[in-house]
Amino acid sequence: MLDRAEIPLKLNLKYLIFQELKITHMAPEDFLDDEPIFSDKLGLDSIDAVEIVYLVEKYFDVSIKDMKVARPALQSIDTLAAFIETGAV
Amino acid sequence: MVKIDFKHSQSSHCESGVSANLLSHYGVDISEAMAFGIGTGLFFAYLPFVKVNKLPLTTYRCEVGGIFKRVVKRLGCRIRWEKFKSPEKSMTALDKKLAEGIPVGLRTGGYWLPYFPPAFRFHFNMHNLVVFGKDGDEYLISDPVFPDPVRCHRSALMKARFAKGPLAPGGVMYYIEEVSRQFDMAAAIRKGIRGVCRRMMKTPLPVAGVRGMGFLAGRLCRWPEKLGADNAALHVGQLIRMQEEIGTGGGGFRFMYAAFLQEAAPILGNARLLELSRKMTATGDLWRKLAVVGARICKGRASEDETYGGMADLLRECAERESLIYRELMEVV
Repeated sequence: MLDRAEIPLKLNLKYLIFQELKITHMAPEDFLDDEPIFSDKLGLDSIDAVEIVYLVEKYFDVSIKDMKVARPALQSIDTLAAFIETGAV
Repeated sequence: MVKIDFKHSQSSHCESGVSANLLSHYGVDISEAMAFGIGTGLFFAYLPFVKVNKLPLTTYRCEVGGIFKRVVKRLGCRIRWEKFKSPEKSMTALDKKLAEGIPVGLRTGGYWLPYFPPAFRFHFNMHNLVVFGKDGDEYLISDPVFPDPVRCHRSALMKARFAKGPLAPGGVMYYIEEVSRQFDMAAAIRKGIRGVCRRMMKTPLPVAGVRGMGFLAGRLCRWPEKLGADNAALHVGQLIRMQEEIGTGGGGFRFMYAAFLQEAAPILGNARLLELSRKMTATGDLWRKLAVVGARICKGRASEDETYGGMADLLRECAERESLIYRELMEVV
């Protein structure tokens, strides 16, 4: 079992999303940090966005109440990590 | 080329964003949340007899066009709506208004707007945007759910304006004709709040308001046995999609209403609104929890304790908490 606290944030995010959203057709390490999260590659859509917003709040204590903020933050692992670290993209 | 000097601002939701952006263009600077609140935007109804994509419609906001209509009226503006049977005539009318320097709101079928990413595209005929210019065959568009203005080819825009299906936009366009410089913001806010309380608490239809939440809860827990696992999951998917994608982060517009109450507090000089804003945010969190469980069920990754019955319980709790908020709001205004 991975201890998430010990791995870098971007990889941590990938593991979290892959594990919780049960993405099994590729490895988290193979998903690039700047690739769109919502695309055919991961097979995620807007319903999955609900869960990602919730996971970010639960595991990183960062609340996203406004889709105006969520949309740019959820573009890629890069933008999501930037949002978690700084509160802005 | 025609280009109106129109300030584009991104928003959480299209109609309240369009309302705030159009009003701001005419010097009435209000936030999206304020437009939503004054426009009595918050609502709930489960309408099993209205189908979208062959599934029942659940709405977390008022009727389409209602926010804009009420907010401009309550702020003393005059607007004009036009509906068309002929797509060509609708585009000619749009061009004419643009040539007059008037930014025009359009209701469209979002699925047909090519600038929407495919993963976020589905048939939804209530998407609002503002056209503020034209460059050759392309229209310059302020679509409030996008960070920057976008362009759309005439043929695609025409198709979106005449999308078929439930709540078909029918080429509707709207614009502000006259703006009042003297309006009573506090009175407009009070009217907005009273409207929401009335709709949520006193609507006689059992499928609407807080009663509607209970009605849906009763149906929801029976979906698996009544519809079968696959069809039940599709119904939940629709429920969540309406709450989330067309809404504001899973809170079913409750976060936006909380922001409105927070803004309204100093204007009405009533600190109780701040407390009610916090309570509404907490209700939004509960709605989001419902959305997460629904998303997991819909996507086949629910744990054993994430069930239809559990969703129904959450929904009943949302209804209970919201009832208390509206009762208190009625006392405040």
